[in-house]
Amino acid sequence: MELDLDESSLAIGRIERALSRIEKALADQPNRLKSSVAVPAADQSALKAEVAAVIGELDRLIAEADRG
Amino acid sequence: MADVKLMIAGRPYDVHCADGEEAQLLQLAAVVDEKARGIQGGTEVRQLLFAALMLADDAQEAKGKVDKAEPQSDSLRAAVALAESREAAARDELRAAVVREQAALKELEALRAAPSAPSPGKPANDRALLQIADRIEALATKVEQIP
Repeated sequence: MELDLDESSLAIGRIERALSRIEKALADQPNRLKSSVAVPAADQSALKAEVAAVIGELDRLIAEADRG
Repeated sequence: MADVKLMIAGRPYDVHCADGEEAQLLQLAAVVDEKARGIQGGTEVRQLLFAALMLADDAQEAKGKVDKAEPQSDSLRAAVALAESREAAARDELRAAVVREQAALKELEALRAAPSAPSPGKPANDRALLQIADRIEALATKVEQIP
């Protein structure tokens, strides 16, 4: 699959929108916390691992882009 | 002060109490009366003595139950506090991660905007960017589904 500049801009736009969704969900959470059951530790670990992996992937891309 | 007429074990008693406490006093008297009437035979003093002993026994039993339940409720409270603090810590970590990702994204956009000769690795980088978009969207869905 060959991607042009517009498609990569589209990808960045999607990432920005997804980050906004995460921010909004996190901002809304304290209001729901009182009436809800805590997230299981295993789910939290999986979520953290995925966040760390995505950040690592972004860092790798930036390093590659830096090198040209 | 209010005057209340109580009837315990068949004998009337005139008792004073604070205004507004009449109903409660009558209710307590009814409890004592019920205990005293449950004791057959003997003098009135003996009936009241046994009623008092039975009520003291009830009170002691109730206190024992409360004492027993307290450690359980303490550990439940501690568990809830721990779960809430873990939840809050996880949320803070996630927020920090979002901030880091946004910073990384800005850096990436700046690098992309800078004029440079097209590199042979660009299509691969773009593919990686699309995959990251997929993963972050999946993460957003997961975070939104947290109860």
